[in-house]
Order: sequence, then structure tokens, then C-alpha cells
Amino acid sequence: MAATEAKSAAINPLLAAALALPGILPAAALAQSMPDQGIFSVNYLDYRDWQPGADRMSVKSPSFYVLAPFADKWTFEGSVVYDAMSGASPLYFNTLSGASGTGITEYRTAGDAKVTRYFDRYSIGVGGAYSHERDYISRAGSLDVRWWTADHNTTFAFGFAGNADYIHPADRELDNGRRHTLDFLAGVTQNLSPVDIVQSNITYSTGHGYYSDPYKLLDTRPDERRIWAWLTRYNHRFVQPDATLQLGYRYLNDSFGGDSHAFDVAWVQSLPGNVTLTPSFRYYTQGAADFFFGPPFPQGFQFGQSFTADTRLSAFGAMTAGIKVAKVFADGWGINLSFDFYRQRSGWRAFGAGSDGIEAFSARWINAGVSKAF
Amino acid sequence: MRRILIVALAIACAGCATVTPVKPWEKGELARPSMQFDNDRLEAKYTEHIYQSKEMASGGHGVGGGGCGCN
Repeated sequence: MAATEAKSAAINPLLAAALALPGILPAAALAQSMPDQGIFSVNYLDYRDWQPGADRMSVKSPSFYVLAPFADKWTFEGSVVYDAMSGASPLYFNTLSGASGTGITEYRTAGDAKVTRYFDRYSIGVGGAYSHERDYISRAGSLDVRWWTADHNTTFAFGFAGNADYIHPADRELDNGRRHTLDFLAGVTQNLSPVDIVQSNITYSTGHGYYSDPYKLLDTRPDERRIWAWLTRYNHRFVQPDATLQLGYRYLNDSFGGDSHAFDVAWVQSLPGNVTLTPSFRYYTQGAADFFFGPPFPQGFQFGQSFTADTRLSAFGAMTAGIKVAKVFADGWGINLSFDFYRQRSGWRAFGAGSDGIEAFSARWINAGVSKAF
Repeated sequence: MRRILIVALAIACAGCATVTPVKPWEKGELARPSMQFDNDRLEAKYTEHIYQSKEMASGGHGVGGGGCGCN
């Protein structure tokens, strides 16, 4: 580490001389203010998951993203995604929906857009999001304010969003299938040194309305929910061997019960030919919701109380291993391909015992993307 | 939860108060895409979406993304 920092310090006078020339200030010097470059990217995601002896869901998902500066002080950012989903999801613990377990076909179209106005020391962004499925509509509006110090080393972020969701299952009419949520964010991003940057966010979400899953047997959840999350991320640049270490930790507290912890690590290794290779690993663990009772019959359940057999609300641990390769061309085009493998097991839970009688769950996703900076 | 909030804010404030400011000419390494958080926005979006749909809850990354029928 000391050697790396010494090399970094030795490079700095050269960089200082170069950066003194107008027009070549790197994006990092402006990282806490307006982006000076636009980008668009197109991705295709292929997702599949399964449990022992049975395939579950399969998703094909093309998406598009654009970030475009305009009129000197403004940016537009937007994305569109289309999900084509097929397969079966659990009806009751690990019992799949449909007599044959072959399940359903569903489509989701979603998009979001955000306009940001930049000032000398702060920015204000206004955004909206919309998601549509045959039985679920979600609308969201957001406002975010960022303020940075004069030296652009510290940025404070504050965000607020309102969400209105409408659930209307195909096979019945709900008395009130609406849900309203308010989200708040406060965060700080800090340059710690020429090779270290850290970000810490706290988010709070409070909502009320319909939280049950209409497609799961006996599912009755509380009609209020509050979620606290604390996310901290840290990146360290190794000038030699030309690599970046990315670390992240998130603590989450949910009024449904069951705290969760997520640890992320990635190593971005530069290779000859403007290629980067990024292996990554994530470990996640959560406790069970207060109203999750173990199979086969919900032990401890009493009529009139909340109950779920949704295994996503059980106590488990999960690991993800991923690899990504990306290449950037001189004219601003870039391509990337990634593969991730994910597995949940109740026995992998940390800070407590996992839920009994739950099958392991596995997923893999492959993503291919093309981007162009302009 | 309040204790966690106080600890998080204390760590954040203490960290900001004690670092030596990075000069503009020292930011070459910080400029690299790999040093940006969520540099690939589409990748960040779909990854968060997958975890949101397979685990109990999500949060921490941002606000205003909208919901879905997946959870």
C-alpha cells in the first residue's frame, strides 16, 4: 500500500502540469458536479432461476439508457426496460404455482426519466418513473438535491420520492389494492485521498397499503412497512497493478422483521487493449419476517394474524459470484459481457439460524451491453 | 435503529473532518470509471432489481425507482 501511494504521489507533478492546460481537466475533477460527457447504452439480460428438481422463472430483458447534457447547465437521464417473464413461482413455501408447475407468462414495461439543473455549488434533479404489468402499475416521482464543497471533494445528497402502486390480480378484485410509499435519502461522498473515495447513504422508506402477495396461499401481511438502510461503499485505486478494489456494506432494518447485511467486493483489473476484467463476490444474510412460519404447516400461526409462506421472507444466506469483461474503443464505443451465479441456502445465514425446511434457490444471469460516449 | 443512524452520521462526519483535501491535479486516478459509484447505471439497475425481487427488501442506493409486482 505504501509503495502504491508513493508511486501515486510521484505521478502527481506530471498530472498537475498536464491538468494545468485548459480543456483536458479529467472528469474526476468535475466528478462532484455536472457530467461533461453524454452516454447511451443498450443491454440485454438473460435471467433464469431454479430450485432442486424444478425450473422456476426465466426473464429476457432488453434495456436502454441515456445520459445527455444539454443547454450548458442541464442533463437528461432516462432508461426503458422490457421484461418478458415466464415460468412458475412458489405458491406455498417451495410448492410451485400451477398444477404442472409450468406457471405463467408475464410482461413488464418500465421507464424512468430525470432532468437535472446544475449550479456552481449544487444541483437539483426532478424525476419520474413508471412500471406496468397486467396486474401491477407503479408510478413514482422524485426530487434530489446535491451540494458540494468548493474543492469538489465532498458532496452531500438529499433525496425524496413518492410512490403510488396499484395491484389488481387477474383472477379477483381486491377491496383496496393500493400502496403508497415515501422514500428519503441523505448521503455523503468524500474523496479521502488521490486514490480513495467513500460514499455513505442512509435511506428511509415508509409505506402503507396492500403488501400481501395475491398469488401466494394464505398470504396476509401487515399494511404498514418501514425500512431503514445504511449503505457504505469504498473504492481504492491501485496505480500498480492498475486495478481498483470496490467494497460495499449495507445494513437494512425492516419493520416486517429480520435485519439484513450485504457485503460486496469487486476487483476491476485493467488489461492491455483497454480491456477490464472484474471478478466480484457478494454475501447476503437476512432474518425471517415476524410473520413467516416454517413448513409444512405454519407452526405457531393463528387466524387473524399476519402470515406468509413466501420463502423470500425466510431466514437465509446467499452468495453471488460474478465475472465481467469490458472493452472500450478509442472512438467512445464500449462493449461488456457479464455472468453472475446466485444461490440462497438457509444454512448460510449468519448471526442466527436459518429457517428449517426451505429448499435451496439458485439463479444465474448473463448480461451483454453496448455503450457509446458522446 | 436510532443508534445506528447516529453511528453512521458520526462516522461520516468524522471521516470528512479529518482527511487532507485532494487537490484538483491529484484527481487523475479518481477520474477513472472504476472509481465511480454505479458507473454502469443499467447494470446497477438490473442488479438491484434482481436482489429486490429475490430477497426481503431493498434500499440504500437511491430513491424514486418505482415498484414492481415482483415483490
